Formats: sequence, C-alpha cells, structure tokens
Amino acid sequence: MSTEQTPPAAEAEAPQGPGVGVDEWVARSSGRREYAPGRLGEAQRLLERVPWWVILLAAGLAGACVPFLTTNDFQLQIGINAMLLAILAVGLNISVGWAGLLDLGYVAFYGFGAYGYALVSSNQLNPPAGVHWSTYISVPVVMIAAGFLGVAVGWPSRRLVGDYLAIVTLFFGEAFVEFTNNVAPSKLGGPNGIVSIDPYKVFGTTILTNKGYFYVLLVLLVLTVGVLHLLDTSRTGRAWRAVREDTLASSLMTIPVFRVKLMAFAFGAAVAAMAGTVFAAQQINVFPTDFATPFLILIYAGLILGGAGSLAGAVLGGLILSVTLDGILRSPTEAGYIFYGLILATLVVKIRPWARLGAILGATVLFGIVVHTIVKAISPSAVAGGPQSSGWISDLVHNWVVVPSNPTRAGNIAYVVLLVLVIALVQVKGRWRDILMVPTLYLAACVWEGVLVAQPSITRQILLGVILIVMMNARPNGLLGRRRVEVV
Amino acid sequence: MKGRIITAALALTALVAAGCGSSSSSSTTSSAAASGGSSSSTKSCVATIGIEGPFTGDVAVLGQEQLAFAKLAIDMDNKANGTNITLVQGDTQLDPAQATTVTQQFTSNSKMVATVGPAGSQEVQAVGPLFGRAGMAFITGSATNPDLTKSGKNPTFFRVVSRDDLQGPQDANYIVKNLKPKRLMIIDDQEVYSTGLTSAMIPIFKQAGIQVDHESVSQKVTDFSSIVAKVTPETTVVVLPWQVAANAQQFGKNLAEQKKKATIFGTDGTQSSSFTIPGSYVSAFGPDINSIPADAAIAAAAKAAYPKYGTFGPPVFAATHVIDEAISSVCKSGQTPSRANVLAAVKGTSEASSILGQPIKFDSHGDLIGAKWFLFKINNKGQYKLVTNT
Amino acid sequence: MRFFIQELVNGLTQGSLYALIALGYSMVYGILKLLNFAHGDLYMVGAFVGYFVIQWFGGSTALTIPVPLLLLFMFLLAGGGVGMLGVAIERFAYRPLRDAPRIAPLITALGVSFLLENSMLLLFGASFRDYNTSAFIPFSSGIHIGVLNISLTRILVIVLSLVLMIGLRLLVDRTKLGRQMRAVAEDREAAEMLGVNVDYTISMTFFLGSALAGIAGVMAGLVFNQIYTLMGFVAGLKAFTAAVVGGIGSIAGAMLGGLLIGIAEAMISGYISSTYTNLIVFGILIVVMILRPQGLLGRAPLQKV
Repeated sequence: MSTEQTPPAAEAEAPQGPGVGVDEWVARSSGRREYAPGRLGEAQRLLERVPWWVILLAAGLAGACVPFLTTNDFQLQIGINAMLLAILAVGLNISVGWAGLLDLGYVAFYGFGAYGYALVSSNQLNPPAGVHWSTYISVPVVMIAAGFLGVAVGWPSRRLVGDYLAIVTLFFGEAFVEFTNNVAPSKLGGPNGIVSIDPYKVFGTTILTNKGYFYVLLVLLVLTVGVLHLLDTSRTGRAWRAVREDTLASSLMTIPVFRVKLMAFAFGAAVAAMAGTVFAAQQINVFPTDFATPFLILIYAGLILGGAGSLAGAVLGGLILSVTLDGILRSPTEAGYIFYGLILATLVVKIRPWARLGAILGATVLFGIVVHTIVKAISPSAVAGGPQSSGWISDLVHNWVVVPSNPTRAGNIAYVVLLVLVIALVQVKGRWRDILMVPTLYLAACVWEGVLVAQPSITRQILLGVILIVMMNARPNGLLGRRRVEVV
Repeated sequence: MKGRIITAALALTALVAAGCGSSSSSSTTSSAAASGGSSSSTKSCVATIGIEGPFTGDVAVLGQEQLAFAKLAIDMDNKANGTNITLVQGDTQLDPAQATTVTQQFTSNSKMVATVGPAGSQEVQAVGPLFGRAGMAFITGSATNPDLTKSGKNPTFFRVVSRDDLQGPQDANYIVKNLKPKRLMIIDDQEVYSTGLTSAMIPIFKQAGIQVDHESVSQKVTDFSSIVAKVTPETTVVVLPWQVAANAQQFGKNLAEQKKKATIFGTDGTQSSSFTIPGSYVSAFGPDINSIPADAAIAAAAKAAYPKYGTFGPPVFAATHVIDEAISSVCKSGQTPSRANVLAAVKGTSEASSILGQPIKFDSHGDLIGAKWFLFKINNKGQYKLVTNT
Repeated sequence: MRFFIQELVNGLTQGSLYALIALGYSMVYGILKLLNFAHGDLYMVGAFVGYFVIQWFGGSTALTIPVPLLLLFMFLLAGGGVGMLGVAIERFAYRPLRDAPRIAPLITALGVSFLLENSMLLLFGASFRDYNTSAFIPFSSGIHIGVLNISLTRILVIVLSLVLMIGLRLLVDRTKLGRQMRAVAEDREAAEMLGVNVDYTISMTFFLGSALAGIAGVMAGLVFNQIYTLMGFVAGLKAFTAAVVGGIGSIAGAMLGGLLIGIAEAMISGYISSTYTNLIVFGILIVVMILRPQGLLGRAPLQKV
C-alpha cells in the first residue's frame, strides 16, 4: 500500500482518452492509488482497510432498515423494482463489464426465469390441477436451466466477436418475446400471459406482501453480490478480464477462452433468471411485454451509469435509475426538483469561479424580472398562465416566468428555441457563453412551468433522456467505474 | 477524484430526495383542474382521482386520446357540479409491470378515491387484486377480455365497454348473414384485444362453412403489402380486429394499390377519423358522438382538445363521468368522498343516457348492463353512417 | 410467378428503406465505432418534415405546386434538415465522449433517442399523420399486369434509393471527402497527423448519414402513408440488424443486408406464415451470422496485437 500522493490537480485535469503506461491491473494491485487531500483521503484509506464483506453486510443492514421507515406499499414497490434492476445490472456486469461481451439478449434470461417459474408454479401446464413445485426446487432448477440456455446463446461467441455477437444475442432477445407471444398459446398464454402464479414459499411462510419481497430481494442481492465478488477475485474473474483485455494474449496464456466466455454467459443468465422468478412471484403474473427491448435498455443504462465492471457501481446504478424513474419522475413536483436541481448542479460543476456563477444567476433573475414586467405591460394575457406546477418553487417563480394563458402553441415554440439555445451554448465559448446562458436558463424555467409540467408522462421520458446524456457526459466511465487504460 | 466525489454526492442527494420525496407524493396534486373556478360553490367537494394509460410508448396514440377525454370530462363535470376534482396521471406504456407500480402509487395516496383505466386487459389482470385490496373503484374504457369480470378476482373493477365474447360473435354473425363471404381473411395484431376477438370469431366463420385465412401481424408493422398480396380474388371480406386505426387505413391503401376488391370489416379499435376507407364496415360500442345532438358540446370540445379522436376517448369520458358523478353524489349526501363511499356510489350508478348513446348501469361483476352494439359503414366521403344497432 | 414478383417488389420497397437507414448506421459506426441508436429517430423526424412540407403546400388533396416539385422540396428539406440535426446531435452528445469507453456513447445515444421521440410527442401529439400519397400520385400510375400491381410510388422509392446508394458509394470511393472519411475510419489519430480535419470529416459523415435517414423517412411516408413519433424504433432496430448482417462499416454490405431482410420478411409472410415471420427471419439471420461471423461483405477485423 503506497502512501505516495500525486497532486490532485493532475487527476482532475487529466486529459480524457487512453493513457499510456500503467494499466488497470497494475493500478489495482499496487502503486497508483490516489487519495483526496486531507481528511477525506484519510477516511478513504481507512475505508479501504475494512474487509469487503463488512461493507456488504453494512449496506445490507442499512437496506433492511427501509421497511421500518416506511410501510407505504408504493415505496416498497419502488424498492423492489430498484433491487430487481440492481440484481439484473450485476448479472449483466458479468458478461458486459468483466468479460467484455456485449449481450443484447440479456433480458430474455430474465423472461426465461419468470416464465420458467410461472410454468412450474401455476395451473398453466397440466390443467386443472396444474404444476406446483416447491420454491426450493423450482428456483434452482430454473436458474440451472437458464445457465444452460446461457451456454447455448453464448455458443456463437466461439466465432463471433464484438458487435456481431451483440446482434446475434439481440435476435435471441427479440425472438424470446416473439416466441412467448405467438407460439403455443395454450401453454405459454400468448399475449394473455400466465396469471395466478404461486408466490414464494420459504421457511414455511407464503410471501404475499411487498415487505416480504423486499427482504427476499435484499437477501438475494447481498448474496449475489457476495458470490460474484468472490468469483471476481478468483481465477475465473481474472480470466474474464484477461479475455476482455486481449483474447489472443489470454489464449496464449493457456486460458480456455471459449469456456471462460460461456461461463460468463451462464452465470449472467442464472442471475437474471433468479431475478425473473422473484418478479413472477411478486407480480403473480407474467406477460411477454414485460421482457421487451425497452426494459433491456433500462438494465444497460443502470449498469453503465453505475460503472461497468464495478459491482458496487452496478448496484448503485440500478438503484438510482429505478428510484429516479419510478419514484421521483412520476410526480410532477418532484420531477421539478430534479429539473431545477440538474440545471443548478451542472452550473455548479461547470462554472468557476463562484463569482462568475453568481453573476450569471443574478443576471438571470434580473433578466426574468425585466422580461416579465415588459411582457405584462404589453399584454397581460401573455403572463396569465402562471406557473403550472405547485409547491414552493411555483410560488417563488410566480411573478417571474412568462406563461401565456393558453401555453400550447407558444410553449412548443419556446421548447424548440430552448433546444436550439442549449445546442448553441455548447458551441460558443468564453464570454458569449455566459451571455447566452442567461436567456437559456430563463427560457428553461418558462418552458418547464408552461409546457413540461402540464405533460408529466411525456416529461418523464424526456428527463430520462436528458439525464442519460448529462450523466454520461459528466462521467463517461459511470459513477463508480474506473477509467480503463486501453492499450493502443 | 473531485468529480467523482461531486457526482457521488449528487447521487446521494437524489436518493435522499427520493426518500423524502416519495413520502410527500401523497400530497401532490395537479392544479390544472383547480383553476376551474369552483370557489363559488358553498361547500367544496374536493377529491383526487387517477388515470392509468399508455401516455407514452408504442400506443401513445391510444393513451393520449384517453387522457384528453378524461381531462375534458373532469373540466366539464367540475363546472357542472361545482366539485373540485383533480386528475393525477400514471403512465403505464401498456406494460402490466409498470401498471402494478402506478397502481400502488395510487392506492398508497390516501387522497386518491378512484381510478380511470388501465387501458389493457393484461394490465387489469395485473392490478385488479391490488385495487381490490385497497377498496378503490377503477373503471376501464378499453379492457374487453371476458375473464376480467368472470373470474371474480377483480371486485372493484368496472367497465363501460362491451366484452370480447359479446362483440366478437355479433361481428361474426353479421358478416356471415349479411356480407356472405365464401372466403375471408382475418388478421390479428398479436395483442390481447385482437387475439381475443379473433378466437371468438373464427369458430363462427368455420361453422358457417366459410374458408378462413388466419394471418397475424405485429401492430408495429407499417406496411401490409406482403399480406395483402395473399388476398385472393374470392376473398371478399378482410376482418381487422385492430387497436391502431391508422394501420387499418394503410391496409386499405395497400388493398387499393394492389387492386384487391375485398371489404374491410374493422372492430371498435379501428373506429376513428384516421380510418376512412370507403365501403368499410366498423363495429363499435357507441354511436358517433358527432351524431348525437345532446353530445354536440362534448364533441366540439373534444375536437378542440384532440382533433383526431376515435374509439378510445369517449368510453374514458364516460368512465370519468361516472366517477365524477359518484363523487358529487357522495358530497351531496353530506358525506366526504372516501374510497368506500365512492365505490358504493359507482356500484349504484344509473345514468339514463351517456356519451355512449346508452344508459350506464353495472351488473354485480362490473360489466355494463345491456351493452349495445353499433355497426357503421364508411361512405365515399369517409363519413361513418350507422347501418344497424342492437 | 406474378405473386412472387409482387412479393419481391414489396420486399424490395421495405428493404430499400432499411438499407438507406442502415447506410447511415454503418457510416457512423465505421468512423466512430458508435452504435447510434438515435439514428432510427432521425428517420422519424424526416418523415415528419416531409409531412409538414405537404401541409405547407396545401395538403395532399389540394396541392398548390406540381408533384415533382413537391417531392423535390420534401427530399431536400428532409435531407438537409435532418442532416443538420444529425450534426447538432453529434456535437452536443457524442463529441464530448469521443475518447470515452465504447459503451458510454451507446447510453448517450439511447438518451438522445428518448429525447427525440418524446420531444416530437410533446410538440406534435400522438396521433398518426397520413401522407395520403394516393391523392397526388394515384395508384393507377405504375405497372399493372393481371394480379401484379406495382405503384409508381414504389418504383420511385426503389429507383431513388438505388441512385442514392450508388451516389454514396461513388462519394466514398472517388472524392476527397470520401478519402478523408475512410482515413478517419481506418485510424483517426494517424489521419489527424496527416492533416485531415477530423472534426469536419466526422460532422460530414453525420450529415450524410442523417440526411439519408431523413430521406428514407420521407419515402416511408410516401409508401406507408401513416407516420408517428415512435416509427423510428423498429425501423432503427431492423436497420441496425441490416448493417451488422451485411458487415458493419461496409456500404455495399448495408445495402445487401437491408434488401435481404426486407425481401426475407415479405417472402416469409407471403409463402410461409405471417405469425412467425419475425421468428423465422431471426433464425435465418442467426444462421447467416454463424456462417459468416464478419457479416456478408464485412472484412474480418484485423487483430492488433
């Protein structure tokens, strides 16, 4: 463990792009650890001495407190959705993050798990009695079957690499939805899906509540992360990363490349299938549309936002994305906090020094007051719409933003102008950028209060898009991802 | 390193905000309807209702229409009854898993007394028990699967539309008796609504000795020329039980392009100003709202709010209206509108007439009593002309 | 036989559109190694631009200008407008990530896709819009022999796409810009050292690729009439497939892949079963990929050690 400190400025202003010299492997194992200056750095160093399983257990215990803080079913459902996404992101991390195999059919394993569990835990097969396996049998069987399916799907990776492998797995994912939707409707239910699935039954109790599934998922998440961490630090984990970095060199080192790739697929598939069984048991029904491409996109977004290659990152990314999407963006008021918060955060991060930031914000406030006064003097109806949101932000900006009484048309124009201004902002430099920033910020507030708040469902999707763009631009390696040194 | 700390801090803030935020979500209401000016009423009747539908995603065309009509109904009823009902929207993208989340958002919100929607039968299947547990009434304007009411799993479920097992046979029998095809083609769009109707119709055609060509095409497909090429000269009828009227329009264009003479028979999903192929038949649950004098005001307002509306809006208007009236009647009887009160009032609904051109009254399962069936033929100007109704 | 030709033409029409979108995918991929998932949405924007051009000139039933002129305006505006949009997106969303890990811009592209789709939904609503092409290019024009019916619109689309593809091929092979594009695709840093303006070249690539998608959008409107804000998703996915199956980065490959998928779809739904069309197409494509791992016309990737 080195105590040597490089000046922090070097890291902060390090140029983007492949660096030359120390590669990830060396950086991880020795020599190049960097710490923040002062107390923060000491805390970091202290944290690194704590064994990983202590951190994991502490995080698990913290999660276990959540149901004591809330009994609200909606919030628990968000927790369930978030942990499902986190488990899926962690599983996807095996093939994408560690082994470097772009698997675009991953969501089908999730669906396979859900459908597999549904078939052996409902009246769908062999009616009217149906098939009802014990949870202890059905879940492992489904996971193992998914593992074999993973091997089958991964088989083309023998010859296919990169995006060619991605497209074949994408076919598999699409084919799964087509298959469940159209083939054997009497068995798989077609678009009607499978309903009345047995819930989980563990330790003699049938789990029916959201709280129950919250704990089930928490335990599974902690277990999965634990097992995968062990796997990551084992020979297999090193083999995966070796294959990711350089297939040729690793085969030279007698790593069985193909078998290692298949293992990545199989483990990922088993983890996804496990999540699928919980999903089916909690929803008590499954439909083909649950496993379509849009959900795959969410899993990928969660993993990459968090940082591909990092277990903690995958978990964090899945949790944040799901909580943002289901918990915050569904409510217009809270979406407002995100909207204004995102703008402020970007300004704080991007604009230095503080005086400049203050000047821009002050100018924006002044600009708004002037515009509002002028417009009101010319035509009172042009400001009659008022902010359409509610809450303290609305009260704050009430006599500041211009919202006509019928904002649709003007709002649409303003929205387009706003997009153009934002793109223009990226293009110009220096003083012009500061000057342009003022009307852009003001217009953003007007558009939000006039158009976006009135259409919460569409706005939710727009904000999701914006968050993805902004986050990836802010941290191309994800929240907890490390910058990989690519050997050129 | 600094960047990472800042982003981590931001992420944490977001999570904390989520934690605090979602607990306050129960107090969230949209003020859009509140500005209707109901302050003059003596005792304010305040309530919040939800609407679930696919407001974005593949079938946003359906959900946005429903949303526009629900907003319209709320605005009009608030003015007429002096109530202050606000609408909270929950986007499901026609995905049962998302509908489950949204439903718990609604049922966890203590101010919420009833819900309009969800739109799809699978969604109702997924959320019915949740609404049942919460004792909250929910009325759909488009879920037609018979199991939803037959199974008894959805005690608080109501619908203002007919069931597949009623509409399907009526359509099929009309085709057999009046259009008398020797051979017909029926194409489902691989969605619940469509496969349900298809499986209700095919046996009737086969029994009548009609040669049936069953095809199936995803509703995301925009070109049907390769299926149209399979329409034989003997095929005189093509049945399209589809949700997206614009697709039926394109199917008609493809027929004309390839000089095929078959007549299109669309179900209620295709009843829309987007589907105007002359000579086609369209069956529906309600009359054209433009043709009912009493609905003129609604029709005009709807035209302004959502110019190209079709079959999905009016039933949602009716459903929202049922809830509005239920809330209003609870208030008038001097009680506060709670879930139980509103549920009881919805159960006892008895409207002599509605936007759907028929009385609205529910049976004990939540089905509409005496659901009507209308059949239109599209004339050369693309207008819907009533052929028959029962 | 006539049925076969009918289905062939149906497949060719759809296939040419896939091919045009796939070309843009392939060009962008070739130069940046970026899977631009927002590309399908540019196609959608193009379709809307075309629609508004029709409305601007009086609507489909009461056109105020001759049809050829209208078509010219539609293609020019959609091509130019969407091309500019593509350039703007590259500057705004992708350029900052040019040296990031390959998977990062993938997510940005998805973000751009969400943003485009839902902005259009916000601005123009969810309703389908109808080009109603038969009102100004009647079905009676075109080829009609017995059961074989090929409308003029389809002929126009097929011919124009062929012209565009050949034009693009010439541009890449023969012009200075084309050479620069190939150089940047081969090795960006080396090209920069040799004096190629990399930013300019990438912008032009985005312009051309996006313009092709925009033009494809107008064509889709002309043949398939109904346009809506999410039409780009499926088309984009199919085009991505076409680009990879043909051998990603290869222009002829993208054309071949697009046509192959279009024709396979039409033939399978014509001769076998419409229910299983997608399943069978996927099956065929998987076999193709396993037999030719680098795509139909792709070069085996050079292993740099």
